[in-house]
Amino acid sequence: MNAPVTSLRSKATLSALDAQRLLDAFPSAVVVFGPEGEIVAANRRAEHLLAAPVATVIGQSPDGAFRLFRERAERIATAEQARFVQPFGSLWYLVESFPLAAGAQSLRAIVATDITDMKSAEFEIRESEARLEEATRIAQLGTYKFYWDTGKIHWSAQVYAIHGMLPGAVITSERYRDIVHPDDCELFDRTHQDQLDGKPIRGVEYRIIRKDGAVRWLRKDARVLFDADGEPYATFGTCQDITEAKQHEQELKSLLRRNTILYEALDASPIGVGVVTTDSESPEFFYVNAEFERLTGHNTSSLSEHGIDTLTPGGELGAGWARVVQTLRASVSGAFELTCLRRDGGQFLAQIEIAPVRDHPGRDATVFVLNLRDITVDRQRADSLLQSQKMEALGQLSGGVAHEINNLLQPMLALSDLGQDIADKDPAKVRKYFEVIASSGRKARDVVRQVLTFARRDAPQLAPYPIADLVGDALHLLHSGLPPGIHLTPTLACGDAHAVVNPTQVSQVVLNLVTNAADAMDGEGEVALALTEVDLDQVTAAQLTLAPGRWIRLSVTDKGCGMDAYTLSRIFEPFFTTKLAGRGTGLGLSVVYSIVAGWGGALKVDSEVDKGTNAMVYIPLATDG
Amino acid sequence: MAHILLVEDSPEVSMTVREILATAGHSIEDAPSGREALKLLAGGKFDLIVTDVWMPGMDGIALLKEIRGAGNSIPVIVISGGAPNAPLTYTAPLAATFGANVVIYKPFEKAELLKAVDTVLSD
Repeated sequence: MNAPVTSLRSKATLSALDAQRLLDAFPSAVVVFGPEGEIVAANRRAEHLLAAPVATVIGQSPDGAFRLFRERAERIATAEQARFVQPFGSLWYLVESFPLAAGAQSLRAIVATDITDMKSAEFEIRESEARLEEATRIAQLGTYKFYWDTGKIHWSAQVYAIHGMLPGAVITSERYRDIVHPDDCELFDRTHQDQLDGKPIRGVEYRIIRKDGAVRWLRKDARVLFDADGEPYATFGTCQDITEAKQHEQELKSLLRRNTILYEALDASPIGVGVVTTDSESPEFFYVNAEFERLTGHNTSSLSEHGIDTLTPGGELGAGWARVVQTLRASVSGAFELTCLRRDGGQFLAQIEIAPVRDHPGRDATVFVLNLRDITVDRQRADSLLQSQKMEALGQLSGGVAHEINNLLQPMLALSDLGQDIADKDPAKVRKYFEVIASSGRKARDVVRQVLTFARRDAPQLAPYPIADLVGDALHLLHSGLPPGIHLTPTLACGDAHAVVNPTQVSQVVLNLVTNAADAMDGEGEVALALTEVDLDQVTAAQLTLAPGRWIRLSVTDKGCGMDAYTLSRIFEPFFTTKLAGRGTGLGLSVVYSIVAGWGGALKVDSEVDKGTNAMVYIPLATDG
Repeated sequence: MAHILLVEDSPEVSMTVREILATAGHSIEDAPSGREALKLLAGGKFDLIVTDVWMPGMDGIALLKEIRGAGNSIPVIVISGGAPNAPLTYTAPLAATFGANVVIYKPFEKAELLKAVDTVLSD
């Protein structure tokens, strides 16, 4: 900037016009002041600053904003030369002020260069720096620099904040390692070595323990800086506090893990499990587990596509399946045994249990869990189990039955024979023989009928029967089958009370209980059998899981070997037996249990080792009418 | 002609056996159980006992044990209708073990019983 002025001074021969042209060609605004502050010269570019044509301001003192320029220029003119930056309107100027020695006059020149473009770029940089600073604060992201020669680390303010330290604390690698979480020290050392090896660090996550005890997760990214000679001199990196993100990540992970485990558990379940929603018109399958798929041949997507109808034989809801849908609509629990159609067209007997999943108490559920089991084989097995126990019981009875029949055949055969001999001589006696023969025949018929009834395979029909008569009949059949040393003392004290039972099953129950009692006493001793009507109070009824009120109780008591608690806990299991091999299948009490349960009654067994056992069967009393 | 003690709980069988034995001219007293039979035995002289096995109270085998235990060697015919809780075939060895002379099974013919009576009485 000095150049034109110097040349102005040295080319004194320039005409005023030339001087003015020269000034006007100058790219900055130039104004020259006289000793009184009057404008001596100005170029065209100064007109904007002076807010007036050059010709009109010569000899005048400047007004307005430019006056400020001048005053400021003079104020700082203690130095030979001054530069300052000042805004003018919306524009920024670099202002230079310097004295001119023009003859004896003391002149001062102001050169103002428009730097608005440069200035706004600078603003932008500042602003973006401020934004960056704010962003790093929000993101909890700091920067650091590690100097290889000194081992010192320079941290940004944000890094100090992340580490819970006051800015300015001196940090070295060794000191830093002390705050690294013990479990992450190895990783930290490895990363540090990578850093020294000039390798970039990408997304290394580790924990620190802050002075306040807080454990924070940090993420580090860094690269090596090289000097002009290509030698590495420092590492520049970012450090971000990712504790919150990490916590969310952990929560998400554990949630995913839980989900995975739950799904795996469901798939490992031996029971078919389906989830059904009832948001829409007809129930829809939301999910089925592996067992459900195996049983039906349908997976979740084919079930959700075709709906519950696809499981129903014939493709339409029978009465049974209609009840399933009704249960879902009513938002209640239910259990069903239904024929279920497989995808391959096969069918199986299904046990279905439905339970509502209530997400809002008090509101009807729209999500249900549906358990599915194939009970075809179980049902067949239960049927044959019951039948085989009956056959076993029949075998036990056969000794007694044979005895009975033989005793009845005896008079029939022998008296027929004797009668023939005396037919002519003593007709009265022959008539007497015939009576005995006929009555023996009738008794034999009854025995056979009882045996046949007992061996029948039909499903037991329950109806009201005079229970004392049934028990009496059973005892009659049983009587001759008991070891001679066993004395059975029956007390049938319930009159002609009717119980809702099946006669064959009553025989089975009595036979099993009395045989067990006899066996417990090694074939010698007294078995007390009592049939009474009892009144169950609330507490007793609850213990038996029965309704309070009138019941018929069949009690069989022995003074035998008794059972310990362990044995007692297992007596209802099928095939559990304390008897010697070949002397019983161990089905007895389990069958009694299931028979009594089938009546809606209860079986309770009390026992004490070496004292004896008492079995009590509670039988439903028939209601009048 | 023999005086016979018949031990049998079934009235029909008891009557039948009495009728058979009567055709051969034997005289009979009867008891419905072993216990009753022992009372009759104590009070009278019998040539022979015919007893059932399976009876309430004291049964035929127990009766045999009592009689033989007391050193009484009176002939005993056991008539069996079958054994409970044990196959029929067990009855004969059991009765033989405790000193029965003959075991016959119900239902038997008139001749079978009378032959057994003759056999044990002639021994």
